[in-house]
Amino acid sequence: MVMPVLATKLFVPPLRPQAISRSRITRKLDDGMRRGAKLTLISAPAGFGKTTVLSEWIASSRLSSPDLRVAWLSLDSADNDPARFQSYLTAAIDSAISESGFSDDDPTGSLDVTIPWLLNKVAQSPGRLLLVLDDFQLIEDPAVREAVELMIDHLPSTMHVAIASRSDPLLPLARLRARGELTEIRASDLRFTPAEAGAFLTRTSGKSLSDKDIAALGARTEGWIAGLQLAALSLRDRGDVSEFITAFTGSNRFIIDYLIEEVLDRAPLDVREFLCQTAILDRLSGPLADATTGSTGGAEMLEALERANMFVVPLDDERQWYRYHHLFADVLRVRLMAHGTAHVQTLHSRASEWFESNDSPAEAVQHGIAGSDFARAARVIESTIPSVRKSRQDTTLLGWLAQLPPEVIGRRPVLQVFSAWASLVAGDVTAVEPQLAAAERQLEAAAGGKTGVHDSEPGSELDSLPVTIALYRAAIAMASEDMPAIRQHAQRARDLTAPDDHLGRGAAAGMLGLAAWSTGDLETGIVEFRESAANLRRAGNVLDALSTTIVVSDMLVTLGRLKEARAAYERALLETEASGVEVPPAADLHSGLSRVLHVGGQAALATQHLSIAHDLGEEAFAHEHRYRWSIAMADARRTEGDLEGALDHLRDADKEYRRGFFPDVQPIGALIARLWIEQGRAADAHSWATDNGYAVQGELTYLREFGHITLARALIAHNTPSSLADAATLLDRLLDSAEGGGRAGCIIEISLLVATILHAQQKPATALASLERALNLAEPEGYIQLFLDEGAPILALLRTAAGAGIQPDFVRLLSQSIRNRLQVDPTSTLADPLSERELQVLRLLATELTGPQISRELHISLNTMRTHTRHIFLKLEASERAGAVRRAETLGLI
Amino acid sequence: MTHPPDHGDAESGRYEIRLRGQLDQRWSDWFEGFTLTNQTDGTTTLTGHVTDQAALHGLLRRVGDLGVTLISLNVTHNSKEEPES
Repeated sequence: MVMPVLATKLFVPPLRPQAISRSRITRKLDDGMRRGAKLTLISAPAGFGKTTVLSEWIASSRLSSPDLRVAWLSLDSADNDPARFQSYLTAAIDSAISESGFSDDDPTGSLDVTIPWLLNKVAQSPGRLLLVLDDFQLIEDPAVREAVELMIDHLPSTMHVAIASRSDPLLPLARLRARGELTEIRASDLRFTPAEAGAFLTRTSGKSLSDKDIAALGARTEGWIAGLQLAALSLRDRGDVSEFITAFTGSNRFIIDYLIEEVLDRAPLDVREFLCQTAILDRLSGPLADATTGSTGGAEMLEALERANMFVVPLDDERQWYRYHHLFADVLRVRLMAHGTAHVQTLHSRASEWFESNDSPAEAVQHGIAGSDFARAARVIESTIPSVRKSRQDTTLLGWLAQLPPEVIGRRPVLQVFSAWASLVAGDVTAVEPQLAAAERQLEAAAGGKTGVHDSEPGSELDSLPVTIALYRAAIAMASEDMPAIRQHAQRARDLTAPDDHLGRGAAAGMLGLAAWSTGDLETGIVEFRESAANLRRAGNVLDALSTTIVVSDMLVTLGRLKEARAAYERALLETEASGVEVPPAADLHSGLSRVLHVGGQAALATQHLSIAHDLGEEAFAHEHRYRWSIAMADARRTEGDLEGALDHLRDADKEYRRGFFPDVQPIGALIARLWIEQGRAADAHSWATDNGYAVQGELTYLREFGHITLARALIAHNTPSSLADAATLLDRLLDSAEGGGRAGCIIEISLLVATILHAQQKPATALASLERALNLAEPEGYIQLFLDEGAPILALLRTAAGAGIQPDFVRLLSQSIRNRLQVDPTSTLADPLSERELQVLRLLATELTGPQISRELHISLNTMRTHTRHIFLKLEASERAGAVRRAETLGLI
Repeated sequence: MTHPPDHGDAESGRYEIRLRGQLDQRWSDWFEGFTLTNQTDGTTTLTGHVTDQAALHGLLRRVGDLGVTLISLNVTHNSKEEPES
């Protein structure tokens, strides 16, 4: 990871030995904890001892309850990057509750995934946990704030959160307060009482002060601890105590200005210099201080300052790292600024150099930028790109890029291309290409033998830059749905990749696959996505490789290869289950398999996989596939006959749908329109289609195929001679197009619909031919649901197929299933069952064939045929042919 | 909000911020170039121009960070005067 977790941020500040006990406050905190409050808020301006109170509380709580674990996180402004906040929060909680400290099974998802995961982990761990978030006022990012809110809302009973902040955080405090779930410590609680002030002043200054002096100081500082501490420091080694107090209390000057001057003026010159120069550092160690001041003795100086109570706070047990008290640092920085900006920049630049050579890129960049040392900052930023990409700490990197002058970025093609990507992510598409082109020109010049054309360091990032550029260009083309351009750039990326650049090859294949899919060339789409998956696996990215199963299976179903789609899902699920994957795409794979099973008419099994997906939990779904579960749920409800429930799920799906790079081949609007048709709202469905530009003579592309078939269904449902004719015309065109793309799955649906139209138009011969085509394509792969969805009206049509001997077993299965769905009592059976021969005759009786034709068909005499018929009528308690056929249908015999 | 947020000009303007205690001149840089004036009543006023609401909020945060007490905040001049509602 590029930015290692700084252990100093997780260090619980130790209680200072000379601290004044604030038991009245810690008692209040204890009471809150005991009452079951979820949150403790310590909200007061700088210098009120918020952190000290927390330290004391933790020290005393640990004594009274040894099972208390403490996770401490000192926030800084960089924690507004959700990815960074997430890694620190995880590290803080992990190191508190895991015996082994940091665990390596951290989730890879975003904050809204990590928070429930962490809380679950806390709930399962023994003992109680106190999480402290110090300096919360620095958190401004809404995503981080929402994550904290989410955490507080779902806190396990064994966990408590304490927040220290200079201003009230934007959390639902009123709600927590109303429910008694909030303990508040505010400035008025924190101010020293006269007694506390007296004890503190005496202890810190080493002077015994009169009650009058103490009262005067207390009044002047209003119990503000930072003020009292400075006053105590000023008093130390001073003979004229009363004189000082009179002068101080008589002055109107801002306390800090007055007192720091007093303290600094009395300090030796080297201490004064040291304090001012190192005030630019957010955390400091001896070696870092030496590098920054250009002097020596920093470590000893820091220890001396700590002993002298000079506002330095240790950040670890070894006394290696310290920070200044925030308020003190602010004041020192203001004094430093008076020395001129050039001096300040030199200090920052030296600090940046130290951090760079000590593997702290984030701080090296921060000080490099502050010191206008942009060349160094740019070099460090560039070196972090590979790991930032892995750890997804993009926000940090983007923030840095924005602070670099364009000409510095322009010197480094690697940085420039990353900046182009940043523009792409920010949606500023027009800014992308000029940056890519500029980087490309530099690469070409360098390849042509020119030296000094750019500053990017040699290495794999630079080597693969031409591939990266081509991939980003393909991504731009994707945003504008320019298919030929996607193909051109992705192909170029592929041509440029080194054989071992699996990630690059995987990305190029994925883009080529998307382009093929979007244009209806599904065979190529499948080949490319499988190639992409193979490369992703080689690159070690198994989860993304598994995700390709979803798109490949979508294409297989459309191509009429249902069994292959099912096998692909089952293989992928075996892999996830074997490796215990409970992150995306585990749940998405179950949703996908459920849909495939549904198409195959296996409703019960399909529903089972939806439950499994649901039980895996939200964190096992990928954002871009989440809607698929809701669509599959809608299918399940629809099969149960609950059309309103199905519509509800489709509305959810619509909310969850994220427009990504995947083509929207089955628009949710079309699925909703199809349900309307079933509800008898054909007119609404028709309006939806025309509103979305679907028309009988409209241009037919693969992406609009599903919508156009939906329009045809609306026209069929309208059921007038002219609407049927329109539907026939449209379906005829659609059939051509589906045949052109080899999309057997679509041909089944279209042929079936054509057959129903022809049947309604009393054209039995052509209707049967069309149905036969649908049945012949559907039977081997088991496309059952399409027929079942047609319901009772299709029974007569199926009867003609049975009569003609087309796919007899399959047709019987379909007819029976439809009747079962019509809720025929399955228990009614015949007392005297029909013989095999009688069943054959019965099936033919259900057709248009005449008696002599039937006997010829079965190679039996007319008389034998009539005997069979009589037995059949007897057994079915029917008096004539039509009645026998109806009865047989109800019983599921044909 | 008395002004719609897209009303850019109405956001910027001159402000006067009054603080408890007398601050040294050296804080001027800290407060983004605002002019510090020590008043006879023991308060300090900061006067200056802010470009928009975000800048004003940033400035107020600096006041808070310093631990000084904020007494009042007034608009002293606005390029597009509008009556306060």
